Amino acid sequence: MASEPATTVELELEQEQRLVEEAQKGNLDAMRPILERYAAPLYGTVILPRLGDAASAEEVLRDTLATAVEKIRRFTWQGKSIYPWLRQIAINKVYDVHRQSKRSRKLADAMVHEIPAESDPASHADAQLIADQERRAHRDRIDETMQQLQDRYRTAIELRLIQELSREDCARRLGVTIGTFDVLLFRAVRAFRKHFGERAELGPFGDT
Amino acid sequence: MATQDDDTLTGAVPDPETEPSPAELAHARRFAELVDKTLAGRTPPAMSADDRTLLEVATVIRATHGSVELAPSKQRQAVEDALHQAMGTVPTSRGAVVPIARAQARRWAPWVVAGASTLVAAAAIALLWLRTPGAGHANPVARRPAVPEEWTSRSADALVGPIARDHAGDASSRIDTIFADRLDGFRTRRLARGGKP
Repeated sequence: MASEPATTVELELEQEQRLVEEAQKGNLDAMRPILERYAAPLYGTVILPRLGDAASAEEVLRDTLATAVEKIRRFTWQGKSIYPWLRQIAINKVYDVHRQSKRSRKLADAMVHEIPAESDPASHADAQLIADQERRAHRDRIDETMQQLQDRYRTAIELRLIQELSREDCARRLGVTIGTFDVLLFRAVRAFRKHFGERAELGPFGDT
Repeated sequence: MATQDDDTLTGAVPDPETEPSPAELAHARRFAELVDKTLAGRTPPAMSADDRTLLEVATVIRATHGSVELAPSKQRQAVEDALHQAMGTVPTSRGAVVPIARAQARRWAPWVVAGASTLVAAAAIALLWLRTPGAGHANPVARRPAVPEEWTSRSADALVGPIARDHAGDASSRIDTIFADRLDGFRTRRLARGGKP
Protein backbone atom coordinates (compact mmCIF):
# COMPACT_ATOMS: atom_id res chain seq x y z
CA MET A 1 0.00 0.00 0.00
CA ALA A 2 1.40 3.36 -1.00
CA SER A 3 0.94 5.01 2.37
CA GLU A 4 2.29 2.14 4.44
CA PRO A 5 6.07 2.21 4.54
CA ALA A 6 6.35 -1.07 6.40
CA THR A 7 3.93 -3.36 4.63
CA THR A 8 5.91 -6.56 4.26
CA VAL A 9 8.98 -6.90 6.40
CA GLU A 10 9.11 -4.67 9.42
CA LEU A 11 12.57 -3.20 9.41
CA GLU A 12 13.60 -2.15 12.86
CA LEU A 13 15.31 1.18 13.26
CA GLU A 14 18.47 -0.62 14.35
CA GLN A 15 18.49 -2.65 11.20
CA GLU A 16 17.99 0.47 9.12
CA GLN A 17 20.88 2.13 10.91
CA ARG A 18 23.09 -0.90 10.28
CA LEU A 19 22.21 -0.87 6.57
CA VAL A 20 22.92 2.84 6.30
CA GLU A 21 26.29 2.42 8.02
CA GLU A 22 27.15 -0.46 5.74
CA ALA A 23 26.26 1.63 2.69
CA GLN A 24 28.32 4.51 4.02
CA LYS A 25 31.30 2.15 4.21
CA GLY A 26 30.98 1.51 0.49
CA ASN A 27 28.57 -1.41 0.17
CA LEU A 28 25.89 0.46 -1.76
CA ASP A 29 23.91 -2.72 -2.25
CA ALA A 30 23.00 -2.42 1.44
CA MET A 31 20.68 0.41 0.39
CA ARG A 32 18.47 -2.00 -1.51
CA PRO A 33 16.13 -2.99 1.39
CA ILE A 34 15.77 0.65 2.39
CA LEU A 35 14.91 1.75 -1.13
CA GLU A 36 12.49 -1.14 -1.58
CA ARG A 37 10.79 -0.23 1.65
CA TYR A 38 10.34 3.47 0.96
CA ALA A 39 9.86 3.62 -2.82
CA ALA A 40 6.09 3.15 -2.63
CA PRO A 41 5.34 5.77 0.07
CA LEU A 42 7.64 8.26 -1.63
CA TYR A 43 5.80 7.72 -4.90
CA GLY A 44 2.28 7.60 -3.50
CA THR A 45 2.35 10.28 -0.82
CA VAL A 46 5.18 12.63 -1.77
CA ILE A 47 5.82 12.66 -5.51
CA LEU A 48 2.64 11.76 -7.39
CA PRO A 49 0.28 14.05 -5.43
CA ARG A 50 2.63 16.94 -6.22
CA LEU A 51 3.10 16.11 -9.91
CA GLY A 52 -0.15 14.49 -11.02
CA ASP A 53 1.60 12.64 -13.82
CA ALA A 54 2.51 9.01 -13.29
CA ALA A 55 5.32 8.88 -15.84
CA SER A 56 7.01 12.00 -14.47
CA ALA A 57 6.51 10.70 -10.94
CA GLU A 58 8.29 7.46 -11.79
CA GLU A 59 11.22 9.41 -13.23
CA VAL A 60 11.41 11.57 -10.13
CA LEU A 61 11.28 8.48 -7.92
CA ARG A 62 14.17 6.95 -9.85
CA ASP A 63 16.20 10.15 -9.54
CA THR A 64 15.37 10.42 -5.86
CA LEU A 65 16.57 6.90 -5.09
CA ALA A 66 19.72 7.34 -7.19
CA THR A 67 20.57 10.60 -5.44
CA ALA A 68 20.02 8.93 -2.08
CA VAL A 69 22.48 6.16 -2.94
CA GLU A 70 25.02 8.62 -4.34
CA LYS A 71 24.84 10.90 -1.30
CA ILE A 72 24.40 8.33 1.44
CA ARG A 73 27.82 9.22 2.88
CA ARG A 74 26.53 12.72 3.62
CA PHE A 75 23.59 11.40 5.63
CA THR A 76 23.99 11.73 9.38
CA TRP A 77 22.13 9.22 11.50
CA GLN A 78 20.14 11.03 14.18
CA GLY A 79 18.32 8.13 15.76
CA LYS A 80 15.35 8.54 13.39
CA SER A 81 14.37 6.87 10.18
CA ILE A 82 16.09 7.83 6.95
CA TYR A 83 12.65 8.46 5.42
CA PRO A 84 12.51 12.24 6.13
CA TRP A 85 15.85 12.60 4.35
CA LEU A 86 14.56 10.65 1.35
CA ARG A 87 11.37 12.67 1.37
CA GLN A 88 13.32 15.90 1.35
CA ILE A 89 15.29 14.74 -1.69
CA ALA A 90 12.04 13.80 -3.43
CA ILE A 91 10.44 17.19 -2.74
CA ASN A 92 13.51 18.95 -4.08
CA LYS A 93 13.32 16.86 -7.25
CA VAL A 94 9.62 17.64 -7.68
CA TYR A 95 10.39 21.30 -7.19
CA ASP A 96 13.06 21.05 -9.91
CA VAL A 97 10.55 19.49 -12.31
CA HIS A 98 8.06 22.31 -11.77
CA ARG A 99 10.76 24.93 -12.08
CA GLN A 100 12.15 23.41 -15.28
CA SER A 101 8.77 22.95 -16.91
CA LYS A 102 7.68 26.41 -15.75
CA ARG A 103 4.20 24.99 -15.54
CA SER A 104 3.39 26.66 -12.29
CA ARG A 105 5.40 29.43 -10.77
CA LYS A 106 2.89 29.66 -7.97
CA LEU A 107 3.40 26.02 -7.09
CA ALA A 108 7.16 26.25 -7.19
CA ASP A 109 7.12 29.27 -4.94
CA ALA A 110 4.63 27.70 -2.58
CA MET A 111 6.66 24.53 -2.28
CA VAL A 112 9.70 26.47 -1.15
CA HIS A 113 7.72 27.52 1.89
CA GLU A 114 6.11 24.15 2.29
CA ILE A 115 9.35 22.15 2.54
CA PRO A 116 10.62 23.25 5.96
CA ALA A 117 7.17 23.07 7.49
CA GLU A 118 6.50 19.52 6.40
CA SER A 119 9.94 18.01 6.67
CA ASP A 120 11.11 19.05 10.09
CA PRO A 121 12.67 15.80 11.38
CA ALA A 122 12.03 16.65 15.00
CA SER A 123 8.29 16.82 14.46
CA HIS A 124 7.99 13.26 13.17
CA ALA A 125 8.52 10.04 15.01
CA ASP A 126 8.99 7.71 12.10
CA ALA A 127 8.38 7.08 8.44
CA GLN A 128 4.95 5.59 8.99
CA LEU A 129 3.75 8.63 10.82
CA ILE A 130 5.18 11.04 8.28
CA ALA A 131 3.53 9.21 5.40
CA ASP A 132 0.19 9.01 7.24
CA GLN A 133 0.27 12.68 8.16
CA GLU A 134 1.11 13.65 4.64
CA ARG A 135 -1.64 11.50 3.19
CA ARG A 136 -4.17 12.98 5.61
CA ALA A 137 -3.06 16.53 4.79
CA HIS A 138 -3.44 15.92 1.06
CA ARG A 139 -6.81 14.29 1.54
CA ASP A 140 -8.08 17.11 3.74
CA ARG A 141 -7.18 19.65 1.07
CA ILE A 142 -8.89 17.57 -1.59
CA ASP A 143 -11.98 16.99 0.54
CA GLU A 144 -12.30 20.66 1.41
CA THR A 145 -12.21 21.52 -2.25
CA MET A 146 -14.75 18.80 -3.04
CA GLN A 147 -17.15 20.35 -0.54
CA GLN A 148 -17.09 23.57 -2.55
CA LEU A 149 -18.26 21.84 -5.72
CA GLN A 150 -21.87 21.54 -6.82
CA ASP A 151 -23.41 18.21 -5.80
CA ARG A 152 -23.48 16.71 -9.29
CA TYR A 153 -19.90 17.65 -9.94
CA ARG A 154 -18.80 16.20 -6.62
CA THR A 155 -20.71 13.01 -7.31
CA ALA A 156 -19.23 12.71 -10.80
CA ILE A 157 -15.70 12.91 -9.38
CA GLU A 158 -16.43 10.49 -6.56
CA LEU A 159 -17.97 7.88 -8.84
CA ARG A 160 -15.46 8.06 -11.66
CA LEU A 161 -12.13 9.01 -10.06
CA ILE A 162 -12.41 7.71 -6.51
CA GLN A 163 -14.69 4.68 -6.84
CA GLU A 164 -13.42 4.18 -10.40
CA LEU A 165 -16.78 3.03 -11.77
CA SER A 166 -17.09 2.76 -15.54
CA ARG A 167 -18.57 5.65 -17.50
CA GLU A 168 -21.67 3.57 -18.17
CA ASP A 169 -22.18 2.84 -14.46
CA CYS A 170 -21.60 6.45 -13.53
CA ALA A 171 -24.12 7.63 -16.11
CA ARG A 172 -26.65 5.07 -14.87
CA ARG A 173 -26.20 6.17 -11.26
CA LEU A 174 -26.77 9.80 -12.22
CA GLY A 175 -29.63 8.97 -14.60
CA VAL A 176 -28.00 10.59 -17.63
CA THR A 177 -26.53 9.51 -20.94
CA ILE A 178 -22.85 8.68 -21.19
CA GLY A 179 -22.29 11.83 -23.26
CA THR A 180 -23.88 13.96 -20.56
CA PHE A 181 -21.83 12.24 -17.89
CA ASP A 182 -18.68 12.97 -19.88
CA VAL A 183 -19.61 16.65 -19.87
CA LEU A 184 -20.35 16.53 -16.13
CA LEU A 185 -16.98 14.99 -15.34
CA PHE A 186 -15.16 17.39 -17.64
CA ARG A 187 -16.79 20.39 -15.97
CA ALA A 188 -16.33 18.86 -12.52
CA VAL A 189 -12.56 18.52 -12.97
CA ARG A 190 -12.33 22.04 -14.34
CA ALA A 191 -14.33 23.35 -11.37
CA PHE A 192 -12.19 21.36 -8.94
CA ARG A 193 -9.03 22.81 -10.41
CA LYS A 194 -10.37 26.35 -10.12
CA HIS A 195 -11.44 25.96 -6.49
CA PHE A 196 -8.31 24.09 -5.46
CA GLY A 197 -6.03 26.67 -7.07
CA GLU A 198 -7.91 29.61 -5.56
CA ARG A 199 -8.00 28.10 -2.09
CA ALA A 200 -4.45 26.98 -1.53
CA GLU A 201 -2.47 28.03 -4.59
CA LEU A 202 -0.94 24.62 -4.26
CA GLY A 203 -1.08 21.51 -6.34
CA PRO A 204 0.35 20.53 -9.68
CA PHE A 205 -2.17 22.47 -11.70
CA GLY A 206 -1.51 26.15 -11.11
CA ASP A 207 -1.97 28.71 -13.83
CA THR A 208 0.16 28.07 -16.86
CA MET B 1 -12.08 34.49 -31.49
CA ALA B 2 -11.83 32.53 -28.29
CA THR B 3 -12.27 28.81 -28.71
CA GLN B 4 -13.47 26.24 -26.25
CA ASP B 5 -9.85 25.13 -25.73
CA ASP B 6 -8.83 28.66 -24.87
CA ASP B 7 -11.45 28.71 -22.13
CA THR B 8 -10.82 25.26 -20.68
CA LEU B 9 -8.46 26.44 -17.97
CA THR B 10 -9.31 30.10 -17.66
CA GLY B 11 -13.00 30.37 -18.50
CA ALA B 12 -15.92 30.11 -16.08
CA VAL B 13 -17.29 26.62 -15.50
CA PRO B 14 -20.99 26.37 -16.46
CA ASP B 15 -23.62 24.94 -14.13
CA PRO B 16 -24.37 21.22 -14.48
CA GLU B 17 -27.69 21.94 -16.17
CA THR B 18 -26.26 24.23 -18.84
CA GLU B 19 -26.59 22.75 -22.32
CA PRO B 20 -23.13 21.91 -23.71
CA SER B 21 -21.98 23.22 -27.07
CA PRO B 22 -20.90 20.68 -29.70
CA ALA B 23 -17.29 21.73 -29.09
CA GLU B 24 -17.61 21.12 -25.36
CA LEU B 25 -19.29 17.77 -25.98
CA ALA B 26 -16.40 16.71 -28.21
CA HIS B 27 -13.80 17.91 -25.75
CA ALA B 28 -15.58 16.21 -22.86
CA ARG B 29 -15.67 12.94 -24.73
CA ARG B 30 -11.97 13.22 -25.59
CA PHE B 31 -11.16 13.90 -21.94
CA ALA B 32 -13.35 10.98 -20.82
CA GLU B 33 -11.39 8.67 -23.10
CA LEU B 34 -8.13 9.98 -21.68
CA VAL B 35 -9.41 9.23 -18.18
CA ASP B 36 -10.40 5.74 -19.36
CA LYS B 37 -6.89 5.08 -20.61
CA THR B 38 -5.28 6.56 -17.53
CA LEU B 39 -7.39 4.40 -15.22
CA ALA B 40 -6.28 1.41 -17.29
CA GLY B 41 -2.64 2.44 -16.82
CA ARG B 42 -2.22 3.42 -20.46
CA THR B 43 -1.88 7.19 -20.31
CA PRO B 44 -1.13 8.38 -23.86
CA PRO B 45 2.10 10.34 -24.10
CA ALA B 46 0.70 12.97 -26.44
CA MET B 47 -2.21 15.26 -25.54
CA SER B 48 -2.98 18.95 -25.42
CA ALA B 49 -1.58 21.03 -22.56
CA ASP B 50 -5.11 21.70 -21.28
CA ASP B 51 -6.02 18.04 -21.29
CA ARG B 52 -2.77 17.21 -19.53
CA THR B 53 -3.48 19.78 -16.85
CA LEU B 54 -6.96 18.39 -16.25
CA LEU B 55 -5.67 14.83 -16.27
CA GLU B 56 -3.14 15.80 -13.62
CA VAL B 57 -6.02 17.09 -11.49
CA ALA B 58 -7.75 13.73 -11.87
CA THR B 59 -4.56 11.85 -11.01
CA VAL B 60 -3.94 13.94 -7.91
CA ILE B 61 -7.47 13.25 -6.68
CA ARG B 62 -6.99 9.53 -7.28
CA ALA B 63 -3.51 9.47 -5.72
CA THR B 64 -4.71 11.26 -2.61
CA HIS B 65 -7.38 8.64 -2.14
CA GLY B 66 -4.87 5.83 -2.54
CA SER B 67 -6.15 4.78 -5.95
CA VAL B 68 -2.78 5.06 -7.64
CA GLU B 69 -0.06 2.72 -6.52
CA LEU B 70 3.35 1.94 -7.88
CA ALA B 71 3.34 -1.48 -9.52
CA PRO B 72 5.80 -3.89 -7.83
CA SER B 73 7.64 -4.38 -11.13
CA LYS B 74 8.07 -0.63 -11.56
CA GLN B 75 9.20 -0.32 -7.97
CA ARG B 76 11.85 -3.01 -8.46
CA GLN B 77 12.95 -1.37 -11.68
CA ALA B 78 13.25 2.03 -10.01
CA VAL B 79 15.39 0.56 -7.23
CA GLU B 80 17.61 -1.34 -9.67
CA ASP B 81 17.99 1.70 -11.93
CA ALA B 82 18.88 3.88 -8.95
CA LEU B 83 21.54 1.44 -7.74
CA HIS B 84 22.94 1.04 -11.25
CA GLN B 85 22.97 4.78 -11.81
CA ALA B 86 24.70 5.43 -8.51
CA MET B 87 27.29 2.74 -9.15
CA GLY B 88 27.96 3.92 -12.69
CA THR B 89 26.73 0.80 -14.42
CA VAL B 90 24.11 0.45 -17.14
CA PRO B 91 21.11 -1.85 -16.74
CA THR B 92 20.82 -4.41 -19.53
CA SER B 93 17.19 -3.71 -20.28
CA ARG B 94 14.13 -2.11 -18.81
CA GLY B 95 12.38 -5.41 -18.39
CA ALA B 96 15.06 -7.59 -16.91
CA VAL B 97 16.24 -6.87 -13.43
CA VAL B 98 19.92 -7.70 -13.03
CA PRO B 99 21.12 -8.50 -9.51
CA ILE B 100 23.59 -5.87 -8.44
CA ALA B 101 26.20 -8.45 -7.43
CA ARG B 102 26.33 -9.70 -11.00
CA ALA B 103 26.41 -6.14 -12.25
CA GLN B 104 29.53 -5.52 -10.17
CA ALA B 105 31.20 -8.50 -11.81
CA ARG B 106 30.20 -7.18 -15.21
CA ARG B 107 31.85 -3.90 -14.38
CA TRP B 108 35.25 -5.66 -14.34
CA ALA B 109 34.60 -7.83 -17.38
CA PRO B 110 35.96 -5.39 -20.01
CA TRP B 111 39.18 -4.96 -18.03
CA VAL B 112 39.64 -8.70 -17.71
CA VAL B 113 39.14 -9.17 -21.46
CA ALA B 114 41.52 -6.30 -22.27
CA GLY B 115 44.19 -7.68 -19.91
CA ALA B 116 43.94 -11.20 -21.32
CA SER B 117 44.18 -9.86 -24.89
CA THR B 118 47.29 -7.89 -24.03
CA LEU B 119 48.95 -10.96 -22.50
CA VAL B 120 48.17 -13.10 -25.56
CA ALA B 121 49.53 -10.41 -27.90
CA ALA B 122 52.73 -10.06 -25.86
CA ALA B 123 53.24 -13.83 -25.84
CA ALA B 124 52.79 -13.99 -29.64
CA ILE B 125 55.35 -11.22 -30.21
CA ALA B 126 57.85 -12.94 -27.88
CA LEU B 127 57.33 -16.25 -29.70
CA LEU B 128 57.94 -14.67 -33.11
CA TRP B 129 61.06 -12.97 -31.78
CA LEU B 130 62.47 -16.20 -30.38
CA ARG B 131 61.74 -18.26 -33.50
CA THR B 132 63.51 -15.81 -35.86
CA PRO B 133 67.00 -17.34 -36.72
CA GLY B 134 69.75 -15.37 -35.03
CA ALA B 135 67.24 -12.97 -33.59
CA GLY B 136 68.89 -10.09 -31.75
CA HIS B 137 72.35 -10.97 -33.07
CA ALA B 138 71.89 -10.89 -36.83
CA ASN B 139 74.31 -8.83 -38.93
CA PRO B 140 72.19 -6.46 -41.06
CA VAL B 141 74.74 -6.57 -43.87
CA ALA B 142 74.57 -10.35 -43.99
CA ARG B 143 70.83 -10.24 -44.61
CA ARG B 144 71.12 -7.86 -47.56
CA PRO B 145 70.33 -9.34 -50.95
CA ALA B 146 73.37 -10.22 -53.00
CA VAL B 147 73.67 -7.35 -55.53
CA PRO B 148 76.66 -5.60 -57.01
CA GLU B 149 78.15 -2.97 -54.76
CA GLU B 150 77.58 -0.21 -57.32
CA TRP B 151 73.83 -0.82 -56.98
CA THR B 152 73.84 -0.17 -53.27
CA SER B 153 73.91 2.93 -51.11
CA ARG B 154 77.54 3.43 -50.09
CA SER B 155 80.02 5.96 -48.80
CA ALA B 156 81.74 8.29 -51.28
CA ASP B 157 84.92 8.48 -49.20
CA ALA B 158 86.76 5.98 -51.36
CA LEU B 159 85.77 7.89 -54.48
CA VAL B 160 86.66 11.37 -53.30
CA GLY B 161 89.49 10.53 -50.94
CA PRO B 162 90.91 12.91 -48.34
CA ILE B 163 90.12 16.54 -49.14
CA ALA B 164 93.11 18.82 -48.91
CA ARG B 165 92.53 22.17 -47.23
CA ASP B 166 93.36 24.13 -50.39
CA HIS B 167 90.70 22.10 -52.31
CA ALA B 168 87.98 22.54 -49.69
CA GLY B 169 86.13 25.08 -51.84
CA ASP B 170 86.09 22.80 -54.87
CA ALA B 171 82.93 20.93 -53.83
CA SER B 172 81.32 21.06 -57.28
CA SER B 173 84.01 18.92 -58.85
CA ARG B 174 83.63 16.35 -56.07
CA ILE B 175 79.88 16.31 -56.58
CA ASP B 176 80.46 15.82 -60.33
CA THR B 177 82.71 12.86 -59.57
CA ILE B 178 80.19 11.26 -57.27
CA PHE B 179 77.34 11.95 -59.74
CA ALA B 180 79.27 10.37 -62.60
CA ASP B 181 79.97 7.28 -60.50
CA ARG B 182 76.38 6.86 -59.46
CA LEU B 183 75.16 7.47 -62.99
CA ASP B 184 77.47 4.76 -64.16
CA GLY B 185 75.95 2.33 -61.67
CA PHE B 186 72.44 3.33 -62.76
CA ARG B 187 73.28 2.73 -66.41
CA THR B 188 74.73 -0.67 -65.65
CA ARG B 189 71.58 -1.68 -63.83
CA ARG B 190 69.30 -0.28 -66.49
CA LEU B 191 71.12 -2.09 -69.25
CA ALA B 192 71.03 -5.32 -67.21
CA ARG B 193 67.19 -5.18 -67.42
CA GLY B 194 67.18 -4.59 -71.13
CA GLY B 195 66.60 -0.87 -70.87
CA LYS B 196 63.43 -1.22 -68.82
CA PRO B 197 63.14 0.77 -65.61
